[in-house]
Amino acid sequence: MLHYRSTRKLINLGPVILLYYLSISEIDTYFENYFEILSFNIQLIIIYFWSLKRPQVIGNGNIFFAGLINDTVMGIPLGLSSLSYLIVSLVATYIKNMTVNTSITTDWFTFLIAICLSNLTVLILLNNFSDLSVSFIEMSYNTFFSLIFYPFFWFFFNLYNTIITTGKNV
Amino acid sequence: MSSSRDDFSIAFRSALLQRGAAQKFSLFFLIILAISIFFLDSYGFSFMKPVRAIINDGIYRVSLVASSPTRFFPQATEGITELINIKNENKKLKNELEAFKQKELKVEYLTNQNKNLKQFLDSDEKLFTKNIVVAKVLLDKSSPYLRSIIINRGSKSGVLKGMAVLDKDYLVGRIVETNYLSSRVLLLSDLNSRIPVTFGEDGIQAILKGTGSSRPMLEYLPEEYVIEEGIDVFTSGKDRIFFPGSPVGTTNDKGEVILFSESSQLSFVKIDKGKHHKEDF
Repeated sequence: MLHYRSTRKLINLGPVILLYYLSISEIDTYFENYFEILSFNIQLIIIYFWSLKRPQVIGNGNIFFAGLINDTVMGIPLGLSSLSYLIVSLVATYIKNMTVNTSITTDWFTFLIAICLSNLTVLILLNNFSDLSVSFIEMSYNTFFSLIFYPFFWFFFNLYNTIITTGKNV
Repeated sequence: MSSSRDDFSIAFRSALLQRGAAQKFSLFFLIILAISIFFLDSYGFSFMKPVRAIINDGIYRVSLVASSPTRFFPQATEGITELINIKNENKKLKNELEAFKQKELKVEYLTNQNKNLKQFLDSDEKLFTKNIVVAKVLLDKSSPYLRSIIINRGSKSGVLKGMAVLDKDYLVGRIVETNYLSSRVLLLSDLNSRIPVTFGEDGIQAILKGTGSSRPMLEYLPEEYVIEEGIDVFTSGKDRIFFPGSPVGTTNDKGEVILFSESSQLSFVKIDKGKHHKEDF
């Protein structure tokens, strides 16, 4: 029984563990060797999906700390990724409050709003309040590919969500 | 109309302030906290520097451990491929060695001649006495926006902001952030990188500007200058930071430079401490 409970707990922690791991590890979703402009932000996809479907799994505090870790590893001013992630979470929570039934189409469309708002904030803050400069074009490619890949992750996360949902202690 | 505005404000306020059953913090509180941290860090308040250095050192070490499984598999497959190719490479290298032996004699002659000429010109070569520190690459996380690596040498080893970083003898970037046990190297391909370089028989001066892609570009060239393909580019040392003559890459016809060192393949790098004094930075 105890073993079952701890396995369930671990399964429920899956998205948070993935979020932290992607932020702290060397794994990146920038595939310049295959296609020069191909990059997407998987963290934003994770945050958006889980904030929309099951906010208690991911947690605002975890989103904030994962952002701080990402900033440290990437060498950008502290708080920037946190802010970007929290904006995505804010949009997802707002959509959750406003809608009753969501489908992949509505999720996909609202994800576009979330990442555009989030990346625009990052771009404005970096270009105006930091010594670093980032390319608007690179950021646009990143936004575009994040949007393109969203349905794939939506499908996998939905499957995972059913595993969590069918858990005995949920 | 007014009811839809009310709906919006209620839903927005709820999203921003409501914590829910399992949430410990409201989004509003965390957003304000993130903005405050961003401005404290960006405007370089003195107390943030040591805090950031400690956080950096701690997180880089954890990150190194977390990244070890992802490093193992590429290394293992690389090792097998290397074994297969080693026989052919050995044959090729033997032939090359013969050719190099021939060239060595010529180089020795030219080096002596160069030394004599520099003495004659009373050059400041003394300034460029090499003082190299070898560092291991801890983290190499690619990003579409920023190109940098983390190395395991920091202020404890005398590493200072601005120092040149080399792969073999090829320039790969410069130090932009130092912690006690680690440092961040801004690669030549980063959008924020600018290096004075020289190339060609006429000693054309230019600035090598990172573009965010793997090939930086040459800028501030003489008017109407057409770049030819295959010309080697070297650091000019005009900034008094880098040694003059460090090889950087080769030009292509688009005005880009194909770097000699592949930044994604770096394991160990050399930090050039020779020319730096703390007050310079």
